[in-house]
Amino acid sequence: MSEINLENVEVAFDTPAGTVVAVSGVTQRVPAQGFVSLVGPSGCGKSTLLSVIAGLTKATGGQVQVGGKVVNGPDRGIGVVFQEDSTLPWRTVLDNVRFALQVAGVDKEGQLERARWAIELVGLKGFADAYPSMLSGGMRQRVALARTLALEPGVVLMDEPFAALDQQTRIFLGAEVRSIWQRSAQTVLFVTHDISEAILLSEQVWVMSYRPGQIIDVIDVDLPAERDPSIVSSHAFNELHNRIWTSLQEESMRGFRQQEGAA
Amino acid sequence: MPVARPLTLKQRHGQFLGSIAVAFAVVLLWQIVSGLLFVVPAPARTVAVLASNLTDPDYLVDARETALAVATAFVIGTLLGGLVGLVLGLVKPVRLATEPLIVALNGVPKIVLYPILLPIFQLGGSKIVMGVLFCLFPVLINVAAGVRHIPDVYWKLARSVQASWLQTLVHIILPAIRRPLLTGLRLAVSLAVVGVVLSEFFATRYGLGRVVLQTYGHGDYPEMVATILLLIVVSFTISMLLWRWEKKVQ
Ligand SMILES: Nc1ncnc2c1ncn2[C@@H]1O[C@H](COP(=O)(O)OP(=O)(O)O)[C@@H](O)[C@H]1O
Ligand SMILES: [Mg+2]
Repeated sequence: MSEINLENVEVAFDTPAGTVVAVSGVTQRVPAQGFVSLVGPSGCGKSTLLSVIAGLTKATGGQVQVGGKVVNGPDRGIGVVFQEDSTLPWRTVLDNVRFALQVAGVDKEGQLERARWAIELVGLKGFADAYPSMLSGGMRQRVALARTLALEPGVVLMDEPFAALDQQTRIFLGAEVRSIWQRSAQTVLFVTHDISEAILLSEQVWVMSYRPGQIIDVIDVDLPAERDPSIVSSHAFNELHNRIWTSLQEESMRGFRQQEGAA
Repeated sequence: MPVARPLTLKQRHGQFLGSIAVAFAVVLLWQIVSGLLFVVPAPARTVAVLASNLTDPDYLVDARETALAVATAFVIGTLLGGLVGLVLGLVKPVRLATEPLIVALNGVPKIVLYPILLPIFQLGGSKIVMGVLFCLFPVLINVAAGVRHIPDVYWKLARSVQASWLQTLVHIILPAIRRPLLTGLRLAVSLAVVGVVLSEFFATRYGLGRVVLQTYGHGDYPEMVATILLLIVVSFTISMLLWRWEKKVQ
Protein backbone atom coordinates (compact mmCIF):
# COMPACT_ATOMS: atom_id res chain seq x y z
CA MET A 1 0.00 0.00 0.00
CA SER A 2 1.30 3.40 -0.93
CA GLU A 3 1.36 5.47 2.18
CA ILE A 4 3.58 8.53 2.33
CA ASN A 5 5.81 8.88 5.35
CA LEU A 6 7.67 12.09 6.02
CA GLU A 7 10.32 11.94 8.72
CA ASN A 8 11.82 15.19 9.89
CA VAL A 9 12.09 16.42 6.29
CA GLU A 10 14.18 19.52 5.81
CA VAL A 11 15.04 21.42 2.64
CA ALA A 12 17.46 24.34 2.63
CA PHE A 13 18.49 26.27 -0.48
CA ASP A 14 21.76 28.09 -0.85
CA THR A 15 20.99 31.44 -2.44
CA PRO A 16 23.18 34.49 -3.02
CA ALA A 17 21.29 36.10 -0.14
CA GLY A 18 22.16 33.21 2.18
CA THR A 19 20.53 29.94 3.15
CA VAL A 20 16.77 29.73 2.77
CA VAL A 21 15.11 27.03 4.82
CA ALA A 22 12.05 26.22 2.73
CA VAL A 23 10.89 23.14 4.63
CA SER A 24 11.76 22.36 8.20
CA GLY A 25 11.16 19.36 10.43
CA VAL A 26 8.12 17.97 8.66
CA THR A 27 7.04 14.66 10.16
CA GLN A 28 3.67 13.58 8.79
CA ARG A 29 1.90 10.66 7.23
CA VAL A 30 -0.55 10.36 4.38
CA PRO A 31 -2.32 7.04 4.92
CA ALA A 32 -2.59 4.64 2.02
CA GLN A 33 -5.55 5.65 -0.16
CA GLY A 34 -5.84 8.86 1.81
CA PHE A 35 -6.50 12.32 0.43
CA VAL A 36 -4.59 15.08 2.17
CA SER A 37 -4.52 18.74 1.23
CA LEU A 38 -1.63 21.01 2.03
CA VAL A 39 -2.47 24.69 2.50
CA GLY A 40 -0.18 27.58 3.31
CA PRO A 41 0.75 31.12 2.32
CA SER A 42 2.53 31.43 -0.98
CA GLY A 43 6.28 30.89 -0.77
CA CYS A 44 6.01 28.77 2.40
CA GLY A 45 7.47 25.63 0.85
CA LYS A 46 4.47 23.63 -0.39
CA SER A 47 5.88 23.01 -3.86
CA THR A 48 9.26 22.21 -2.39
CA LEU A 49 7.79 19.58 -0.08
CA LEU A 50 5.82 18.05 -2.96
CA SER A 51 8.90 18.06 -5.14
CA VAL A 52 10.83 16.17 -2.46
CA ILE A 53 8.15 13.50 -2.26
CA ALA A 54 8.21 13.26 -6.07
CA GLY A 55 11.96 12.71 -5.94
CA LEU A 56 12.60 15.85 -7.99
CA THR A 57 14.29 17.76 -5.17
CA LYS A 58 16.70 16.30 -2.63
CA ALA A 59 15.90 16.83 1.01
CA THR A 60 18.82 18.26 2.97
CA GLY A 61 17.63 16.40 6.04
CA GLY A 62 15.29 13.61 7.12
CA GLN A 63 13.73 11.18 4.71
CA VAL A 64 10.65 10.39 2.68
CA GLN A 65 9.20 6.93 2.26
CA VAL A 66 6.50 6.01 -0.21
CA GLY A 67 4.97 2.58 0.17
CA GLY A 68 7.76 1.66 2.58
CA LYS A 69 10.52 2.54 0.11
CA VAL A 70 12.86 5.48 0.65
CA VAL A 71 12.46 8.06 -2.13
CA ASN A 72 15.82 8.67 -3.83
CA GLY A 73 14.67 10.02 -7.15
CA PRO A 74 11.71 10.17 -9.52
CA ASP A 75 9.56 7.08 -9.76
CA ARG A 76 6.77 6.32 -12.23
CA GLY A 77 4.73 4.98 -9.32
CA ILE A 78 4.53 8.56 -8.07
CA GLY A 79 2.56 10.76 -10.44
CA VAL A 80 2.83 14.54 -10.43
CA VAL A 81 0.46 17.18 -11.78
CA PHE A 82 2.25 20.50 -12.01
CA GLN A 83 0.89 23.95 -11.34
CA GLU A 84 2.15 25.30 -14.66
CA ASP A 85 0.66 24.23 -17.96
CA SER A 86 2.72 21.16 -18.78
CA THR A 87 0.89 20.01 -21.90
CA LEU A 88 3.19 19.66 -24.91
CA PRO A 89 1.82 21.98 -27.62
CA TRP A 90 3.20 19.89 -30.49
CA ARG A 91 1.29 16.80 -29.40
CA THR A 92 -2.42 16.14 -29.63
CA VAL A 93 -4.39 15.38 -26.48
CA LEU A 94 -4.06 11.65 -27.14
CA ASP A 95 -0.32 11.92 -27.74
CA ASN A 96 0.10 14.09 -24.65
CA VAL A 97 -1.71 11.58 -22.50
CA ARG A 98 0.28 8.63 -23.81
CA PHE A 99 3.59 10.48 -23.37
CA ALA A 100 4.42 8.93 -20.00
CA LEU A 101 3.41 5.47 -21.23
CA GLN A 102 5.58 5.90 -24.29
CA VAL A 103 8.56 6.87 -22.16
CA ALA A 104 7.85 3.91 -19.89
CA GLY A 105 8.17 1.59 -22.89
CA VAL A 106 4.55 0.41 -23.00
CA ASP A 107 3.73 -1.03 -26.44
CA LYS A 108 1.79 1.20 -28.81
CA GLU A 109 -1.46 -0.68 -28.43
CA GLY A 110 -1.28 -0.50 -24.66
CA GLN A 111 -0.41 3.20 -24.84
CA LEU A 112 -3.46 4.01 -26.90
CA GLU A 113 -5.78 1.87 -24.84
CA ARG A 114 -4.74 3.34 -21.52
CA ALA A 115 -4.56 6.87 -22.89
CA ARG A 116 -8.14 6.58 -24.19
CA TRP A 117 -9.24 5.25 -20.81
CA ALA A 118 -7.59 8.18 -19.01
CA ILE A 119 -9.01 10.71 -21.46
CA GLU A 120 -12.48 9.40 -20.80
CA LEU A 121 -11.83 9.41 -17.06
CA VAL A 122 -11.14 13.15 -17.03
CA GLY A 123 -14.07 13.88 -19.34
CA LEU A 124 -12.13 14.78 -22.48
CA LYS A 125 -13.69 12.18 -24.74
CA GLY A 126 -14.07 13.69 -28.19
CA PHE A 127 -10.97 15.89 -27.82
CA ALA A 128 -8.36 13.20 -28.39
CA ASP A 129 -7.18 14.73 -31.65
CA ALA A 130 -7.25 18.36 -30.54
CA TYR A 131 -4.06 20.30 -29.90
CA PRO A 132 -3.61 22.01 -26.51
CA SER A 133 -3.68 25.44 -28.17
CA MET A 134 -7.33 24.80 -29.07
CA LEU A 135 -8.27 24.00 -25.46
CA SER A 136 -9.10 26.14 -22.44
CA GLY A 137 -6.77 26.25 -19.44
CA GLY A 138 -9.10 23.94 -17.54
CA MET A 139 -9.08 21.38 -20.31
CA ARG A 140 -5.30 21.52 -20.55
CA GLN A 141 -5.03 20.75 -16.83
CA ARG A 142 -7.35 17.79 -17.44
CA VAL A 143 -4.94 16.60 -20.11
CA ALA A 144 -2.07 16.85 -17.62
CA LEU A 145 -4.17 14.98 -15.06
CA ALA A 146 -5.02 12.27 -17.60
CA ARG A 147 -1.35 11.90 -18.49
CA THR A 148 -0.54 11.31 -14.82
CA LEU A 149 -3.45 8.94 -14.26
CA ALA A 150 -2.67 6.94 -17.40
CA LEU A 151 0.38 5.50 -15.65
CA GLU A 152 -1.95 4.37 -12.81
CA PRO A 153 0.46 5.56 -10.12
CA GLY A 154 -0.11 4.51 -6.52
CA VAL A 155 0.53 8.06 -5.38
CA VAL A 156 -0.66 11.25 -7.06
CA LEU A 157 0.86 14.60 -6.10
CA MET A 158 -0.95 17.70 -7.33
CA ASP A 159 0.59 21.14 -7.02
CA GLU A 160 -2.16 23.76 -7.19
CA PRO A 161 -3.37 22.18 -10.42
CA PHE A 162 -6.36 24.48 -10.72
CA ALA A 163 -4.89 27.69 -9.30
CA ALA A 164 -4.96 29.47 -12.65
CA LEU A 165 -8.59 28.59 -13.35
CA ASP A 166 -11.78 30.48 -12.61
CA GLN A 167 -13.78 29.59 -9.50
CA GLN A 168 -16.52 27.66 -11.32
CA THR A 169 -14.13 25.46 -13.28
CA ARG A 170 -12.04 24.91 -10.20
CA ILE A 171 -14.97 23.66 -8.09
CA PHE A 172 -16.10 21.43 -10.91
CA LEU A 173 -12.67 19.91 -11.57
CA GLY A 174 -12.05 19.51 -7.83
CA ALA A 175 -15.22 17.45 -7.52
CA GLU A 176 -14.05 15.31 -10.41
CA VAL A 177 -10.63 14.76 -8.85
CA ARG A 178 -12.32 13.62 -5.67
CA SER A 179 -14.66 11.32 -7.50
CA ILE A 180 -11.79 9.78 -9.50
CA TRP A 181 -9.91 9.29 -6.25
CA GLN A 182 -12.93 7.64 -4.61
CA ARG A 183 -13.10 5.10 -7.43
CA SER A 184 -9.35 4.41 -7.30
CA ALA A 185 -6.91 3.02 -4.76
CA GLN A 186 -4.69 6.07 -5.01
CA THR A 187 -3.04 8.08 -2.29
CA VAL A 188 -3.33 11.79 -3.01
CA LEU A 189 -1.48 14.82 -1.70
CA PHE A 190 -3.05 18.00 -3.03
CA VAL A 191 -1.48 21.44 -2.66
CA THR A 192 -3.74 24.45 -2.71
CA HIS A 193 -3.99 27.89 -1.19
CA ASP A 194 -7.79 27.75 -1.29
CA ILE A 195 -9.19 26.67 2.08
CA SER A 196 -12.63 25.72 0.73
CA GLU A 197 -11.05 23.59 -1.95
CA ALA A 198 -8.92 21.83 0.66
CA ILE A 199 -11.93 21.03 2.85
CA LEU A 200 -14.18 20.00 -0.03
CA LEU A 201 -11.66 17.56 -1.47
CA SER A 202 -9.79 15.96 1.35
CA GLU A 203 -9.94 13.77 4.40
CA GLN A 204 -7.26 15.75 6.18
CA VAL A 205 -5.77 19.24 5.83
CA TRP A 206 -2.24 20.23 6.76
CA VAL A 207 -1.52 23.88 7.41
CA MET A 208 2.00 25.00 6.62
CA SER A 209 3.77 28.00 8.14
CA TYR A 210 5.92 30.58 6.41
CA ARG A 211 9.69 30.30 6.84
CA PRO A 212 10.62 27.93 8.09
CA GLY A 213 7.96 25.82 6.37
CA GLN A 214 6.58 23.63 9.11
CA ILE A 215 3.25 21.86 9.46
CA ILE A 216 1.61 23.85 12.24
CA ASP A 217 -1.85 22.33 12.20
CA VAL A 218 -3.44 19.07 11.07
CA ILE A 219 -7.21 19.02 10.72
CA ASP A 220 -9.30 15.93 10.04
CA VAL A 221 -12.20 16.66 7.76
CA ASP A 222 -15.18 14.82 9.24
CA LEU A 223 -17.60 15.45 6.42
CA PRO A 224 -19.68 12.89 4.53
CA ALA A 225 -17.85 11.05 1.74
CA GLU A 226 -20.21 12.46 -0.88
CA ARG A 227 -19.62 16.18 -0.91
CA ASP A 228 -22.10 18.29 -2.70
CA PRO A 229 -20.83 21.85 -3.19
CA SER A 230 -23.81 23.00 -1.12
CA ILE A 231 -21.95 21.59 1.88
CA VAL A 232 -20.07 24.89 2.07
CA SER A 233 -23.05 26.43 3.85
CA SER A 234 -23.12 23.73 6.56
CA HIS A 235 -22.08 24.43 10.13
CA ALA A 236 -19.39 21.73 10.11
CA PHE A 237 -17.80 23.17 6.99
CA ASN A 238 -17.73 26.65 8.49
CA GLU A 239 -16.08 25.44 11.68
CA LEU A 240 -13.34 23.77 9.68
CA HIS A 241 -12.97 26.82 7.49
CA ASN A 242 -12.66 29.11 10.52
CA ARG A 243 -10.05 26.97 12.17
CA ILE A 244 -7.87 26.77 9.05
CA TRP A 245 -8.45 30.42 8.27
CA THR A 246 -7.28 31.49 11.72
CA SER A 247 -4.09 29.41 11.50
CA LEU A 248 -3.41 30.64 8.03
CA GLN A 249 -4.11 34.26 8.69
CA GLU A 250 -1.58 34.48 11.47
CA GLU A 251 0.94 32.83 9.19
CA SER A 252 0.18 35.01 6.20
CA MET A 253 0.54 38.13 8.28
CA ARG A 254 3.85 36.89 9.67
CA GLY A 255 5.05 36.00 6.19
CA PHE A 256 3.94 39.33 4.84
CA ARG A 257 5.76 41.21 7.58
CA GLN A 258 8.91 39.14 7.02
CA GLN A 259 8.85 39.91 3.32
CA GLU A 260 8.19 43.59 3.99
CA GLY A 261 11.09 43.64 6.43
CA ALA A 262 13.37 41.95 3.94
CA ALA A 263 12.43 44.27 1.08
CA MET B 1 5.56 30.33 -26.50
CA PRO B 2 3.88 32.75 -28.87
CA VAL B 3 1.82 30.92 -31.43
CA ALA B 4 1.94 32.50 -34.87
CA ARG B 5 -1.57 33.17 -35.97
CA PRO B 6 -2.36 31.36 -39.20
CA LEU B 7 -3.09 33.72 -42.05
CA THR B 8 -6.65 33.99 -43.22
CA LEU B 9 -7.47 32.88 -46.75
CA LYS B 10 -7.68 36.51 -47.81
CA GLN B 11 -4.27 37.31 -46.31
CA ARG B 12 -2.73 34.27 -47.99
CA HIS B 13 -4.27 35.37 -51.24
CA GLY B 14 -2.73 38.77 -50.71
CA GLN B 15 0.66 37.24 -49.95
CA PHE B 16 0.52 35.18 -53.14
CA LEU B 17 -0.50 38.15 -55.29
CA GLY B 18 2.17 40.27 -53.61
CA SER B 19 4.87 37.71 -54.46
CA ILE B 20 3.74 37.57 -58.08
CA ALA B 21 3.76 41.35 -58.29
CA VAL B 22 7.27 41.61 -56.83
CA ALA B 23 8.58 38.90 -59.18
CA PHE B 24 7.01 40.67 -62.13
CA ALA B 25 8.50 44.01 -61.09
CA VAL B 26 11.96 42.47 -60.74
CA VAL B 27 11.83 40.90 -64.20
CA LEU B 28 10.52 44.16 -65.68
CA LEU B 29 13.28 46.18 -64.04
CA TRP B 30 15.84 43.65 -65.23
CA GLN B 31 14.47 43.93 -68.78
CA ILE B 32 14.73 47.74 -68.67
CA VAL B 33 18.24 47.72 -67.21
CA SER B 34 19.40 45.16 -69.77
CA GLY B 35 18.34 47.60 -72.51
CA LEU B 36 20.42 50.36 -70.93
CA LEU B 37 23.54 48.48 -69.87
CA PHE B 38 25.59 46.36 -72.21
CA VAL B 39 26.85 44.08 -69.41
CA VAL B 40 23.38 42.97 -68.34
CA PRO B 41 21.76 40.41 -70.66
CA ALA B 42 17.98 40.36 -71.10
CA PRO B 43 16.01 37.95 -68.90
CA ALA B 44 14.90 35.74 -71.80
CA ARG B 45 18.43 35.41 -73.13
CA THR B 46 19.79 34.59 -69.67
CA VAL B 47 17.22 31.85 -69.16
CA ALA B 48 18.07 30.40 -72.58
CA VAL B 49 21.78 30.32 -71.71
CA LEU B 50 20.97 28.72 -68.37
CA ALA B 51 18.88 26.03 -70.05
CA SER B 52 21.63 25.14 -72.49
CA ASN B 53 24.21 25.16 -69.67
CA LEU B 54 22.22 22.60 -67.76
CA THR B 55 22.60 20.13 -70.60
CA ASP B 56 26.35 20.72 -70.87
CA PRO B 57 28.29 17.91 -69.06
CA ASP B 58 31.24 20.20 -68.26
CA TYR B 59 28.94 22.73 -66.65
CA LEU B 60 27.21 20.00 -64.66
CA VAL B 61 30.58 18.94 -63.23
CA ASP B 62 30.95 22.43 -61.79
CA ALA B 63 27.37 22.51 -60.61
CA ARG B 64 27.73 19.11 -58.93
CA GLU B 65 30.98 20.17 -57.27
CA THR B 66 29.36 23.25 -55.76
CA ALA B 67 26.17 21.44 -54.77
CA LEU B 68 28.17 18.70 -53.05
CA ALA B 69 30.35 21.22 -51.21
CA VAL B 70 27.29 23.17 -50.07
CA ALA B 71 25.47 20.02 -48.94
CA THR B 72 28.52 18.76 -47.04
CA ALA B 73 29.10 22.15 -45.43
CA PHE B 74 25.42 22.37 -44.49
CA VAL B 75 25.33 18.93 -42.88
CA ILE B 76 28.58 19.39 -40.96
CA GLY B 77 27.80 22.98 -39.98
CA THR B 78 24.29 22.11 -38.83
CA LEU B 79 25.37 19.10 -36.78
CA LEU B 80 28.25 20.99 -35.24
CA GLY B 81 26.20 24.11 -34.60
CA GLY B 82 23.32 22.06 -33.24
CA LEU B 83 25.57 20.14 -30.89
CA VAL B 84 27.44 23.19 -29.58
CA GLY B 85 24.14 25.11 -29.34
CA LEU B 86 22.64 22.27 -27.32
CA VAL B 87 25.55 22.27 -24.88
CA LEU B 88 25.47 26.07 -24.56
CA GLY B 89 21.72 26.04 -24.02
CA LEU B 90 21.90 23.32 -21.40
CA VAL B 91 25.02 24.20 -19.43
CA LYS B 92 24.83 27.70 -18.06
CA PRO B 93 28.47 28.00 -16.91
CA VAL B 94 29.71 27.02 -20.38
CA ARG B 95 27.34 29.53 -21.96
CA LEU B 96 28.42 32.35 -19.69
CA ALA B 97 32.09 31.53 -20.25
CA THR B 98 31.92 31.35 -24.04
CA GLU B 99 29.12 33.75 -25.00
CA PRO B 100 31.30 36.85 -25.58
CA LEU B 101 33.78 34.79 -27.60
CA ILE B 102 31.06 33.35 -29.81
CA VAL B 103 29.45 36.72 -30.44
CA ALA B 104 32.85 38.12 -31.35
CA LEU B 105 33.73 35.17 -33.59
CA ASN B 106 30.43 35.47 -35.39
CA GLY B 107 31.29 39.10 -36.07
CA VAL B 108 34.61 38.22 -37.72
CA PRO B 109 34.46 38.44 -41.53
CA LYS B 110 35.10 34.73 -41.97
CA ILE B 111 36.31 34.95 -45.54
CA VAL B 112 39.59 36.58 -44.41
CA LEU B 113 40.49 33.18 -42.98
CA TYR B 114 40.39 31.59 -46.41
CA PRO B 115 44.08 31.99 -47.23
CA ILE B 116 44.88 30.30 -43.92
CA LEU B 117 42.53 27.40 -44.65
CA LEU B 118 43.90 26.78 -48.14
CA PRO B 119 47.23 25.21 -47.22
CA ILE B 120 45.54 23.13 -44.52
CA PHE B 121 42.44 21.83 -46.30
CA GLN B 122 43.50 22.17 -49.96
CA LEU B 123 41.30 23.57 -52.68
CA GLY B 124 38.49 21.03 -52.32
CA GLY B 125 38.27 21.11 -48.53
CA SER B 126 38.76 24.78 -47.81
CA LYS B 127 35.50 25.88 -49.37
CA ILE B 128 33.64 23.28 -47.36
CA VAL B 129 35.26 24.52 -44.17
CA MET B 130 34.34 28.06 -45.20
CA GLY B 131 30.75 26.95 -45.80
CA VAL B 132 30.73 25.34 -42.36
CA LEU B 133 32.04 28.53 -40.76
CA PHE B 134 29.31 30.51 -42.45
CA CYS B 135 26.37 28.27 -41.55
CA LEU B 136 27.51 27.16 -38.09
CA PHE B 137 26.53 30.27 -36.18
CA PRO B 138 22.85 30.75 -37.03
CA VAL B 139 22.15 27.13 -36.05
CA LEU B 140 24.25 27.40 -32.91
CA ILE B 141 22.70 30.66 -31.77
CA ASN B 142 19.12 29.63 -32.52
CA VAL B 143 19.46 26.22 -30.90
CA ALA B 144 21.13 27.66 -27.78
CA ALA B 145 18.40 30.30 -27.39
CA GLY B 146 15.68 27.73 -28.12
CA VAL B 147 16.96 25.31 -25.49
CA ARG B 148 17.34 28.07 -22.94
CA HIS B 149 13.71 29.05 -23.37
CA ILE B 150 12.27 25.58 -22.88
CA PRO B 151 9.83 26.00 -19.99
CA ASP B 152 11.10 24.65 -16.69
CA VAL B 153 8.04 22.48 -16.30
CA TYR B 154 8.98 20.36 -19.35
CA TRP B 155 12.23 19.37 -17.66
CA LYS B 156 10.35 18.52 -14.48
CA LEU B 157 7.89 16.49 -16.52
CA ALA B 158 10.68 14.57 -18.26
CA ARG B 159 12.38 13.82 -14.96
CA SER B 160 9.17 12.82 -13.18
CA VAL B 161 8.38 10.17 -15.80
CA GLN B 162 12.02 9.02 -15.75
CA ALA B 163 12.69 9.86 -19.37
CA SER B 164 16.16 8.85 -20.51
CA TRP B 165 18.52 11.38 -22.04
CA LEU B 166 17.70 10.28 -25.53
CA GLN B 167 13.94 10.30 -24.83
CA THR B 168 14.23 13.81 -23.43
CA LEU B 169 16.11 14.92 -26.54
CA VAL B 170 13.69 13.32 -28.98
CA HIS B 171 10.39 13.93 -27.19
CA ILE B 172 11.03 17.23 -25.43
CA ILE B 173 14.07 19.20 -26.58
CA LEU B 174 13.87 18.81 -30.37
CA PRO B 175 10.12 19.41 -30.68
CA ALA B 176 10.29 22.27 -28.16
CA ILE B 177 12.93 24.08 -30.23
CA ARG B 178 11.45 23.16 -33.62
CA ARG B 179 10.78 26.77 -34.64
CA PRO B 180 14.16 28.33 -33.81
CA LEU B 181 15.84 25.20 -35.18
CA LEU B 182 14.06 25.57 -38.52
CA THR B 183 14.92 29.27 -38.60
CA GLY B 184 18.56 28.34 -38.02
CA LEU B 185 18.45 25.71 -40.78
CA ARG B 186 16.89 28.13 -43.24
CA LEU B 187 19.61 30.71 -42.60
CA ALA B 188 22.25 27.97 -42.71
CA VAL B 189 21.29 26.89 -46.24
CA SER B 190 21.78 30.36 -47.67
CA LEU B 191 24.97 30.94 -45.73
CA ALA B 192 26.46 27.60 -46.80
CA VAL B 193 25.94 28.71 -50.40
CA VAL B 194 27.54 32.07 -49.64
CA GLY B 195 30.54 30.47 -47.94
CA VAL B 196 31.19 27.97 -50.70
CA VAL B 197 30.63 30.24 -53.70
CA LEU B 198 32.60 33.07 -52.14
CA SER B 199 35.50 30.66 -51.64
CA GLU B 200 35.20 29.53 -55.23
CA PHE B 201 35.52 33.13 -56.34
CA PHE B 202 38.96 33.24 -54.81
CA ALA B 203 40.56 29.95 -55.62
CA THR B 204 39.27 26.62 -56.77
CA ARG B 205 39.51 24.21 -59.65
CA TYR B 206 35.83 23.41 -60.17
CA GLY B 207 32.59 25.01 -59.07
CA LEU B 208 30.02 27.58 -60.06
CA GLY B 209 31.90 30.35 -58.29
CA ARG B 210 34.83 29.70 -60.61
CA VAL B 211 32.48 29.69 -63.62
CA VAL B 212 31.15 33.09 -62.60
CA LEU B 213 34.63 34.52 -62.22
CA GLN B 214 35.94 32.98 -65.43
CA THR B 215 33.01 34.13 -67.55
CA TYR B 216 33.48 37.57 -66.02
CA GLY B 217 37.14 37.48 -67.05
CA HIS B 218 36.15 36.57 -70.60
CA GLY B 219 33.50 39.26 -70.70
CA ASP B 220 30.88 36.57 -71.30
CA TYR B 221 28.12 38.34 -69.38
CA PRO B 222 25.12 36.18 -70.37
CA GLU B 223 27.00 33.10 -69.11
CA MET B 224 27.95 34.90 -65.92
CA VAL B 225 24.47 36.18 -65.16
CA ALA B 226 22.93 32.80 -66.01
CA THR B 227 25.07 31.12 -63.36
CA ILE B 228 24.32 33.82 -60.81
CA LEU B 229 20.63 33.37 -61.59
CA LEU B 230 20.93 29.63 -60.99
CA LEU B 231 22.55 30.19 -57.58
CA ILE B 232 19.89 32.69 -56.59
CA VAL B 233 16.95 30.59 -57.76
CA VAL B 234 18.15 27.43 -56.02
CA SER B 235 18.92 29.15 -52.67
CA PHE B 236 15.70 31.09 -52.87
CA THR B 237 13.59 28.00 -53.50
CA ILE B 238 15.13 26.04 -50.62
CA SER B 239 14.76 28.98 -48.23
CA MET B 240 11.19 29.44 -49.33
CA LEU B 241 10.30 25.80 -48.74
CA LEU B 242 11.92 25.84 -45.31
CA TRP B 243 10.17 29.07 -44.49
CA ARG B 244 6.79 27.60 -45.36
CA TRP B 245 7.55 24.53 -43.28
CA GLU B 246 8.51 26.82 -40.39
CA LYS B 247 5.15 28.58 -40.65
CA LYS B 248 3.29 25.30 -40.72
CA VAL B 249 4.66 23.63 -37.60
CA GLN B 250 2.21 23.48 -34.71
N1 LIG C 1 15.53 26.08 -6.40
C1 LIG C 1 15.40 27.02 -5.43
N2 LIG C 1 16.47 27.76 -5.09
C2 LIG C 1 16.36 28.69 -4.11
N3 LIG C 1 15.24 28.96 -3.43
C3 LIG C 1 14.15 28.25 -3.73
C4 LIG C 1 14.16 27.25 -4.75
N4 LIG C 1 12.93 26.70 -4.84
C5 LIG C 1 12.18 27.35 -3.91
N5 LIG C 1 12.90 28.27 -3.24
C6 LIG C 1 12.42 29.13 -2.15
O1 LIG C 1 11.82 28.31 -1.18
C7 LIG C 1 10.65 28.90 -0.67
C8 LIG C 1 9.47 27.98 -0.86
O2 LIG C 1 9.12 27.92 -2.23
P1 LIG C 1 7.92 27.03 -2.76
O3 LIG C 1 8.07 25.66 -2.24
O4 LIG C 1 7.84 27.21 -4.21
O5 LIG C 1 6.66 27.74 -2.05
P2 LIG C 1 5.10 27.55 -2.33
O6 LIG C 1 4.91 26.43 -3.30
O7 LIG C 1 4.52 27.27 -0.99
O8 LIG C 1 4.60 28.84 -2.86
C9 LIG C 1 10.49 30.22 -1.39
O9 LIG C 1 10.99 31.24 -0.55
C10 LIG C 1 11.35 30.08 -2.61
O10 LIG C 1 11.88 31.32 -2.99
MG1 LIG D 1 4.03 26.44 -5.27
